[in-house]
Amino acid sequence: MEEQPEVVKIEQKFPSWRDMLKPVTEKDFKHGFYHYPILKRDAEYLKDYIPFGTRDWDPLDKDWKLPEDWKERFLNAFKDKLEKYRPFKLYMDICVRCGACADKCHYYLGTGDPKNMPVARAELLRSIYRRYFTKSGRIFKEWAGARELTEDVVKELYYYLYQCSLCRRCSAFCPYGIDTAEIVWRGREILNSIGVTHRFTPISIAACARTGNHLGLLPGGMAGALQSAAEDIAEITGVEIEVPINKKGAEVLFVAPSGDYFATPHWFGFMGYIMFFHEIGLDYTWSTYAGEGGNFGTFQSYELAKLLNQKIYHEAERLGVKWIIGGECGHMWRDKHQFMATMNYPLPSTLEDPVNPITGTYFENAAESKMVHIAEFVADVIKHKKVKLDKSRNDHWKVTFHDSCNPARAMGLFEEPRYVIQSCCNYFYEMPEHTIREKTYCCGSGGGNLTEEVMDLRMRGGMPRALALKEVVKKHGVNFMCTICAQDKAAFPILMEYWKLPVEIGAMMELVGNALIMKDEEQERTLDLRGNPLKRGEE
Amino acid sequence: MIGGAVFGVVIPYVAIAVFIVGVIYKIIGWANSAVPLKIPTTCGQQYTLPFLRRNIYDRFDCPQTMWETVGRMFFEIFFFRSLFRNTRFYYAPQMKYKDARWLWLFGIAFHYSLLLVLIDHLRFFMNPVPWFSSKLTDGLSLTGVFVPTLYLPGLLIVVALALLWARRLFFGKERTISLPSDHFVLILLLAITISGNLMRYFYKVDLEGVKELILCLSTFNVARAVSIADTIGPVLYIHLTLVSILLAYFPFSKLMHSAGVFFSPTRNMPNDNRVHIHINPWNPEVKGITYEQYYEMYKDQLDEIAENGYKVKPEV
Ligand code: HEM
Ligand code: SF4
Ligand code: SF4
Repeated sequence: MEEQPEVVKIEQKFPSWRDMLKPVTEKDFKHGFYHYPILKRDAEYLKDYIPFGTRDWDPLDKDWKLPEDWKERFLNAFKDKLEKYRPFKLYMDICVRCGACADKCHYYLGTGDPKNMPVARAELLRSIYRRYFTKSGRIFKEWAGARELTEDVVKELYYYLYQCSLCRRCSAFCPYGIDTAEIVWRGREILNSIGVTHRFTPISIAACARTGNHLGLLPGGMAGALQSAAEDIAEITGVEIEVPINKKGAEVLFVAPSGDYFATPHWFGFMGYIMFFHEIGLDYTWSTYAGEGGNFGTFQSYELAKLLNQKIYHEAERLGVKWIIGGECGHMWRDKHQFMATMNYPLPSTLEDPVNPITGTYFENAAESKMVHIAEFVADVIKHKKVKLDKSRNDHWKVTFHDSCNPARAMGLFEEPRYVIQSCCNYFYEMPEHTIREKTYCCGSGGGNLTEEVMDLRMRGGMPRALALKEVVKKHGVNFMCTICAQDKAAFPILMEYWKLPVEIGAMMELVGNALIMKDEEQERTLDLRGNPLKRGEE
Repeated sequence: MIGGAVFGVVIPYVAIAVFIVGVIYKIIGWANSAVPLKIPTTCGQQYTLPFLRRNIYDRFDCPQTMWETVGRMFFEIFFFRSLFRNTRFYYAPQMKYKDARWLWLFGIAFHYSLLLVLIDHLRFFMNPVPWFSSKLTDGLSLTGVFVPTLYLPGLLIVVALALLWARRLFFGKERTISLPSDHFVLILLLAITISGNLMRYFYKVDLEGVKELILCLSTFNVARAVSIADTIGPVLYIHLTLVSILLAYFPFSKLMHSAGVFFSPTRNMPNDNRVHIHINPWNPEVKGITYEQYYEMYKDQLDEIAENGYKVKPEV
């Protein structure tokens, strides 16, 4: 990556409130910040959810060829969302513009663009709300912070609503809990109604709707991936594992994000799952129909989210499993914890209480939705000493943990992964306090931004996390950042290169896989799952 | 004659009517919108395996039960819990962060002063004056050296408002996001509080008369109110009219945050999503690919998996 500048300039601007109401249009769109438009192929496939997507347009065009009655459609969609979503309506009304959220957004910190302040992002829609849905806005217009809905405003919305990663960091600091992610989600739905959608997520959504996973892997490909993982495991540990797939009558269905099947460094965590389940003798199965835990629909609309997550319960019912374990993924767990059960209520009656067959623990906190996080499951098994772990096999790693936004701020999953990680390695260090747990910074690539064309935005958005990491690199020599999110694993390696940090990214289950002493292992292991030589006990 | 009736009777009545109707209308508007999803923002460890203990912060920042949620709301409303987290990130080489909790401090100073001033005002609205009102007032007043006694919250509120306004005027980010309406409420509140203090310390008005006027207004004794209204000095009408403007403006403005904070789903819902499934009243049907369709599409590959006994083996 030679072409990157040595110094990243962050220019802060403080325009007047009037200038803030003026839309940023295609003339000012910057490369590396705006998204490409939806592909015709995907628009055709998703036309029930995203109409008008098949026209010819580009965000840099002057004319976006919006449908004739776009304004009416836009306002109708707006009204519809106000009626259907109390949070949206409420958050349109009650923001006091105190600015507590302003500098909490990693995109604002990284870009200095005033419209990337969460409050300003919400104001983009709020100004329209005032103009068309409140009396004061109708009467006092600009003086009440209201503005006309024009094509330019639509362009601006497109530009900035897709510069949010739905991380909800702003919401943790807002005195009323105003959730910009909620506002952005509704905003994207409204834009969808007039065919203004970006390219990246619909590709995966269409693929997932067709094949069951975002990457468009076919059943044979998934089986093949499991097989290669089993082969890699055999090579390193000498243990040959049979991996169950589409198996009816298994006790547990396991669902991982599809990135785990192919990408690196996800792969080593993928091996970790297989090793761990084998070692404890869990009666489980992978599935090809519900082979995707992630849900890019949650970045677009309620309906699209449901389109993808309904498969999981359908498959659980078809296979006759008792309950479900979900793998390491961030937005997936926003969906699985907060959305999936509500969207698919009532759940199949074939499901039973989530009781860990190995330890007998009843996962009380998943009593109704029947879906347990892998970190909860593994922590429980480790606590009951049902597996043997050799921490020193991770001695070549000095580990830190990145809390992924959604498990942190939508689930409260902090201690489980830490417990697992600390049981598996000797060297563990926390990053600075204001960058972890509920205050964690996004990787910069979430919420539908994990795409090449917005690389500049992503690298800048990742800055706060990179600097926090640099701190522990300097202090403790950290060389491994563990994360439980598939998008993190895809995004961080690039970020490390950009910010010049000598840190490897990896899964929690990779550390588990390394430390796990398997019963049928005959020889001492000499390599870690990546094929690196082990360095026991060395400082 | 006309002046007293307009400023002392008509305007306050109209303002109060607008206030009450407006606030109810707004709240009903919110209540009529559905809450499709349970979306608490979790700021602490979730309720989980028994050996992972949650401390007291976790329980209130990431509530699991109804009571913990009530606790969270209590701390939000009375102590601005979320604002108390306010730390800022700076590009300092040492990854230090700066405490930005002065916003919390100013906010608390303003709101508590407001509350205390309102409690103090009960002496005009109620006969007899409630005991806690006069007790509080006595407790918070500086007597002795100054004549007349200084009511501290009444002065503090002016200072706090001035500081809050200064933020909006002098800080870049805050200036950028401040709309005219944001300045307007602060100016209005400053005008109200300053005129109130002026009345208290410099331009004395006939307090007995004021009280009688307000009591008449509140018992709808309009004729008597009109006649008393004329006997009271003009400073009161400045104060009263400003308050009327505030009341009438309240339901249409961001001041509705005071009611809205109770409705915010990221705060007032427990994080028990997987224990008690939330019901969406308008849950739409969405048609995805069924397993049968999926099977038709990838028959060969699925059959192959079946032939292999629903498992894959490493080939070594
Ligand atoms: C349940 C009651 C209330 C709660 C929990 C509450 C909470 C808050 C919070 C957290 C802020 C942001 C921090 C700040 O800027 O100070 C705020 C701002 C503000 N509140 Fe309240 N509030 C309440 C009632 C009221 C009432 C009754 C008023 C009446 C006039 C009011 C007027 C204001 C104003 C003017 C601001 C903006 C300050 C600024 O512009 O900097 N609040 N409120
Ligand atoms: S913290 Fe909340 S109330 Fe304050 S400006 Fe941001 S969204 Fe508005
Ligand atoms: S949700 Fe995250 S990315 Fe979006 S505005 Fe808030 S802090 Fe920024």
